[in-house]
Amino acid sequence: MIKVARLFVMTTSIGLGLYAALASDVVLANGSADAVGNTSVVVAVRRLTEPQYRRSIADIFGDDIQINGRFEPERRELGLQALGSATLSLTAAGFEQYFNLSHDIARQVLDEPRRAVVMPCQPSALSAFDQACAANFISMVGERLFRRPLSAAEMNARLQTAASGTQHSGDFYTGLQLALSSLLAAPEFLFRIERAEVDPDNGDNLRLDAYSRASRLSFLFWNSAPDAELLASAASGDLLTEQGLQTQITRLSSSPRVQDGIQAFLVDMMQIDGFDSMVKDATIYPKFNQLVADSAEQQMIRTLVDLLVVKERDYREIFTSNDTFLNRPLAAIYQVPFASSEEWAPYTFPDSAERSGIFSQVGFLSLYAHPGTSSPTVRGIKLHEIFLCEHTPEPPADVDFSAVVDSDAATSRERLLDHMSNPGCIVCHQRSDPPGLALEHFDGLGQLRKFENGQLIDVSADLFGNKFVGAQGLGQFLYNDPRASSCLVRNVYAYGAARMPGSAERSYITAQIEQFADNGYRVPALFRQIAQTPEFFKVVIPQGAPDHANTASVQ
Amino acid sequence: MAKYINRRTLLKGFLGGAAVNLGLPMLNMFLNENGNAYADGTRIPTRFGTYFWGLGLTDTPAGGTRWVPQKTGLDYDITPELQAIAALKNKVSVFSGFRAIPDTRPNLVHWSGHASILSGVAPAGSGRFDAATLDTRVADAIGGSTRFKVLDIDASISRRPISYSTRTGSTFASPDQTTLALYQRLFGDGFQDPNSEHWAPDPAIMLRQSVLSAVTDQRQSLLRSVGHEDQIKLEQYFTSLREMENQLAVQLQRPEPRDACVLPASPEEMARAASVDVVNNNTRAMARLLAMGLACDQSRVFNFVHTGGTSETYVAGQSKIYHQITHDEPTDPQLGYQPESSKLAGLVMDGFGAFLEELDAIQEGSGTLLDNCLVFAFSDTGYAKIHSLENIPMMLAGGAGGRHKAGQHIHAPGESVTRVSLTAMQLAGAPVGEFGTGSMRTARAVSEVIA
Repeated sequence: MIKVARLFVMTTSIGLGLYAALASDVVLANGSADAVGNTSVVVAVRRLTEPQYRRSIADIFGDDIQINGRFEPERRELGLQALGSATLSLTAAGFEQYFNLSHDIARQVLDEPRRAVVMPCQPSALSAFDQACAANFISMVGERLFRRPLSAAEMNARLQTAASGTQHSGDFYTGLQLALSSLLAAPEFLFRIERAEVDPDNGDNLRLDAYSRASRLSFLFWNSAPDAELLASAASGDLLTEQGLQTQITRLSSSPRVQDGIQAFLVDMMQIDGFDSMVKDATIYPKFNQLVADSAEQQMIRTLVDLLVVKERDYREIFTSNDTFLNRPLAAIYQVPFASSEEWAPYTFPDSAERSGIFSQVGFLSLYAHPGTSSPTVRGIKLHEIFLCEHTPEPPADVDFSAVVDSDAATSRERLLDHMSNPGCIVCHQRSDPPGLALEHFDGLGQLRKFENGQLIDVSADLFGNKFVGAQGLGQFLYNDPRASSCLVRNVYAYGAARMPGSAERSYITAQIEQFADNGYRVPALFRQIAQTPEFFKVVIPQGAPDHANTASVQ
Repeated sequence: MAKYINRRTLLKGFLGGAAVNLGLPMLNMFLNENGNAYADGTRIPTRFGTYFWGLGLTDTPAGGTRWVPQKTGLDYDITPELQAIAALKNKVSVFSGFRAIPDTRPNLVHWSGHASILSGVAPAGSGRFDAATLDTRVADAIGGSTRFKVLDIDASISRRPISYSTRTGSTFASPDQTTLALYQRLFGDGFQDPNSEHWAPDPAIMLRQSVLSAVTDQRQSLLRSVGHEDQIKLEQYFTSLREMENQLAVQLQRPEPRDACVLPASPEEMARAASVDVVNNNTRAMARLLAMGLACDQSRVFNFVHTGGTSETYVAGQSKIYHQITHDEPTDPQLGYQPESSKLAGLVMDGFGAFLEELDAIQEGSGTLLDNCLVFAFSDTGYAKIHSLENIPMMLAGGAGGRHKAGQHIHAPGESVTRVSLTAMQLAGAPVGEFGTGSMRTARAVSEVIA
């Protein structure tokens, strides 16, 4: 205990001395004034998602950095994790994971031989603290990690950590690792903190500041932190001009990395997650295993990216196209031969397979089913939620299910028809069940079947007078439903701006939908189109935020 | 931290602050000197945990029940669905008849019930709670001096990790979901054997502390410019950071010897299946690790989920999941209840029985670990078929270091579930005099079970 206390005292005194000595140099070294000016207001705090965290680390330090940790569960709001991330914080167990990751990553970054690649300078000695070199490194990686330059105070805090760490360990890089660790564990890295500032051209109004704009664009197009060029455009103010914005949008959207960005959006919107923990009963679905689940997830992603990003086809074809990719485990589930020597091979389902688009793939069908049965209701609810942005209310609490009989005696259709005769159930089930019933030729794993409990399954459906048969009929219905493209446009906006468009943006969204249709329903064009509009950077001041006008006048 | 608080500072603290509404049980708790102690006279700490299982227990449409004992008070009768706790019934108090009262709020199915029990408020919407959960208040009171303030464990093997513990209402704890993950958390890196003779502080830990202090330095400047909701989120972040600081500080202190602490062997990874037999095996294995973690004083507070609110567990080989069965299965006219549902309820309770057995298997002082624990077990609903908020099954297991007069059946039809929540917090040592809002607001603990 005594030993420990003495060490602490030592740390403090070294730290304080250093602080005094460094304060003025650091501001100079940093070159800029306080990047988080006191007049700015935080307008959004979104927790970085796992893919964003991984992508950012790979972009900044190299994609061979190992990231072994468990990430906190995401949360969906109005169908999007991008909206849920704005409601999330970090639990103790979650922080512990990030804290451990921060050490692990910092060690890898500054270990030999990567050290030579990432360091902008050589320390004067390995065993002593080199303040200028440390400041140089911290400033460089700090700007990438925080997605804006560090403030003088943020910089000084890390220099203290690096200096005391060097002092105690006798190793410059150990000290620097600690400083890097502390950047990686900071809220400014783990959360996307968006700030607004007073708009000099528009009186007292606030606008999203240039660095926050850079982040919005970068995460939209690349699902990662801004690169050096984008940050430079924010620093010079160029990004705030129409010309500068256009240049960056063109650059970001024409990079091959736009595939990462659009894929991340599609995975979020289509809710392609949860495959890691999918469970199926082994007796009922002996073909199921984790490899099948992972493959099913991959199939959905490959299909969507190829159709919408690579081939830039009409968005609505996700409901009708039978072009996909297969690997060996999936071929067994779909009961087709797999002759390719490649791991994945393109494949087109024949008409007889009864498939039609993304929702008729094993991924969707098995995810939205029970461990031992299909579930027309769950599938119908998810089809409405994901593709039409229509959310089903919670079921009423006091329903009498006595009329619903045991499934051993009948098909799901017959069981569900009992819901239809119950006035408490009908409101939702008349909407949720028909699309699900059209998919009943696919069991809980998504395998084709015609019979359930010995009885032929009827896959005709009637959705408020719209009659269709089977997955292919459902696909055609969705293709023609204008709600599908409207849902996509709203989701792209909400995904990027972290806010569902409200009634104030109705005419804006309508115009975007029209333009999307005019452009042939092409998704990459939709991304560019939305990023170009001022509404994409619109600021909504959160409740309880400091009064910017008062703060501004104090300055 | 709790061990440094004496009665005088406690009284000063309470009278000086706003929380003067201090019930007698609280004082008794700190005056009580009859608790178990180690051979060297060190007092054994009380541990607190929640245990959650989904889909309640079975009632019947005619007003009967498969679980509520006939007899109240001590030596209650063991009903069919309580078979699993028969062997330990003297250490378990059963609470029946209590209900969640949402007032004008809707009954959010498989959500309002446990939200009310845990947070004292029936939430406005599913997926969120409107107040922090009670385990966080207990953890703030008794969890500060161990490496982990709270352990969150989910044995359900569900699609998403399940935890109902929250400080903000929207961010829920991320639980350990496998035996291996739990083992590594408790006994992997950072574990210090309290009985080791060769202990020295690890200088690397001190260096790691400086990493955190650089982050906390910026707290004020960050919080100055945020709105209300973002402030809550960032405060939670800094709370989590402080727990990490505490974890490091604890690791720099020589741990007190713990007689019962024996480093367990690393477990095998479990099968991934959600059938009830697998979930129960997982529950037992995780309970065994948890019990040793408590005995080694790695934590004093835990949350354990057996199955979630809309439980997806099932009997292996059957096509329907438990949740579906509770709704679909007709009441058998001869028996007067849903036989399959009731059977599954019994199987789910076997998990709780196994859980308690593991806590009771560790000798501690003159009793067992369970005697020094208070486990608050409850479900999301009463009669699951109709999503009833009435008669939600709740139990308090363990002696709470002698403070819990265990082994009773308390039947209080119509009373708010929050009375049991308040009782649990007080028995665990949290300075709480009142809990809940609206019709669920109460300052009346269930005094019958408080020694």
